[in-house]
Amino acid sequence: MSVADDIVIHTRDLKKHYVMGTETVRALRGVDVDIRRNEYIAIMGPSGSGKSTLMNLIGCLDTPTSGEYILNGQPVQDLDDDDLARIRNREIGFVFQTFNLLPRASALHNVELPLIYAGVSSRERMQRARKALEQVDLADRMDHKPNELSGGQRQRVAIARALVNQPSIILADEPTGNLDSVTSEEIMSVFDGLHRAGQTIIMVTHEPHITAHAERVITLRDGEIESHDARVLIPATGA
Amino acid sequence: MRILEGIRIALQQIWAHKLKSVFTLVGVIIGITFLIAVITVVEGVNRYVQDDFAGAIFGINTFSVVRRNQVQTGSESQEQRRRQARNPYLTMHDVEVVRQAVPDAWRFSYSVDRGFGEVSYNERSRRNIRVIGGSDGYETMQGWDVAEGRGLSPLDERRSLKVAVIGADIAEKLFPDQSPLGKRIRLGANRLEVVGVWEKQGGLLGVIRDASVLVPISTFRETMAWQRDRIGEITVKAHTVEEMEAAMLEVEAALRRDRKLRPGIENNFWLQTSNDLLGAWDKINRILFAALPGLVSISLVVGGIVIMNIMLLSVAGRIREIGVRKALGARRRDIMYQFLAESSTLSVAGAAIGIGLGIGLGKTVDALTPLPASVPLWSIVVSLVLGLVVGVGSGIYPAYRAARQDPIVALRYE
Repeated sequence: MSVADDIVIHTRDLKKHYVMGTETVRALRGVDVDIRRNEYIAIMGPSGSGKSTLMNLIGCLDTPTSGEYILNGQPVQDLDDDDLARIRNREIGFVFQTFNLLPRASALHNVELPLIYAGVSSRERMQRARKALEQVDLADRMDHKPNELSGGQRQRVAIARALVNQPSIILADEPTGNLDSVTSEEIMSVFDGLHRAGQTIIMVTHEPHITAHAERVITLRDGEIESHDARVLIPATGA
Repeated sequence: MRILEGIRIALQQIWAHKLKSVFTLVGVIIGITFLIAVITVVEGVNRYVQDDFAGAIFGINTFSVVRRNQVQTGSESQEQRRRQARNPYLTMHDVEVVRQAVPDAWRFSYSVDRGFGEVSYNERSRRNIRVIGGSDGYETMQGWDVAEGRGLSPLDERRSLKVAVIGADIAEKLFPDQSPLGKRIRLGANRLEVVGVWEKQGGLLGVIRDASVLVPISTFRETMAWQRDRIGEITVKAHTVEEMEAAMLEVEAALRRDRKLRPGIENNFWLQTSNDLLGAWDKINRILFAALPGLVSISLVVGGIVIMNIMLLSVAGRIREIGVRKALGARRRDIMYQFLAESSTLSVAGAAIGIGLGIGLGKTVDALTPLPASVPLWSIVVSLVLGLVVGVGSGIYPAYRAARQDPIVALRYE
């Protein structure tokens, strides 16, 4: 495998400007990021630093004002809405702070959703969704609705949903933000396990002890990258 | 597959909020119920009128002389109606004029009838009946067969005997567990001996035959008529249509001569044929079918607007869900299809309920009244298609609003 093949995310001079009335907000001022396959990355930064904007761009929910973004060998900066939807479906598994499960659907059906939009047959959908739920130890909760599950279980359903399409990256946005510390550790160990199994993980967080699980920390400030390895900051800020 | 997802969600929603769904769908339900019920009854009556009714009432190749047109089609002017109201009543003299005008007629009869409050035997009675004074040959003309006993004979008429042939409903009501033959029934001040019972006819026509008492016309005129001279109708039956038309001309000419009507003056009598009835029915039919699409589309448009509003609410309440679906790879058209499938499922479900209620209503009419009901398959197909059209039509705007959501904004939506 060549070095280029090994890079799953590559951005150069990535900029995002928002026009708010007469003012232009420069949320990202030129970001260069390279993430290799099977890296475990944490993105940190205070609010207003541009980390949400960066996450939206990496997650193909939004397009940059300028700059280059190559995801898994494919330039995606100029794609239209429907192509971006297709890329999200294939390449990215989202895990959200608020879980974002469909409340009226069973755990199994929630996990099936990405496969529905991938056009997978219902038989294969069932098999793959079951397997993904087994991977997060929820084999016995498949038919439960989200309101019948604990917070940790809900987030594990969300992780199974993120995994089910075998995406290039898992993009987790404050995945433990709504969980107590014990459950947080439980969820983090699920991510650690996935990482050991070869999954590329990008996690946006502002909790330093969560970043301890990552191999590399990217810290943003004022729309630019401040540092590429923030683990040295942990003792400084105190976990 | 995505459409199935939409249908599944819609069915879930309907089931989870049954009462709300009924209110949502009330417009569609009413529209389709009305459509099906009207078509069911009209089609049933239609078939009946064409198959049996006209022929049974008037007979084939048969016409009647009456004082005035008894089938109101609404096409006569006020003036015509007023003029007809001044026509003289038919009398025995007219009977003789007509009889002599068509000596070769296959059959000939005349009759007079009136409604009657009650016929009774001992403690038992039957309300709202009709008493017919019929000439010899009246039953044959009508095609009424006797099930028990005998019909009227020329002798009964000549002697003005107090005898009667009764309809099956009356026989069942007055004589539930004995033979009516030889019994004396009471009709107002008269006592009449039952000599026969007609075969039960049932159905719409049964209203007339099964609840009638036939007595000799002479008896009727002497004991029951309001006006002794009056004759209700004189009926002539020919072998063929051509003979009937020729006979009608003869009768018309003879009556005009007899009544000394100068050329240019309108007839002061009416020649009634089954065409008058079919014409009247055709007209009712046309009006119903002309008004139906308007009435149905009004309720469907209202129903569609209600569904559209509910769908807009549904979209507004599920912005986050839309964001999640988009993040997971749903394209605009996937979201579009989902909401269209949802509104269509809702609407088609409403149509299905309407079809059920409409058929139920038709059957109720069928059971409670003598009107026959039959549900044509095409009306069900039309209803389901209408339901689909309303569903898609009312879903387009909400689905477009849903599909247009920006996933980033939608995911943060509280």
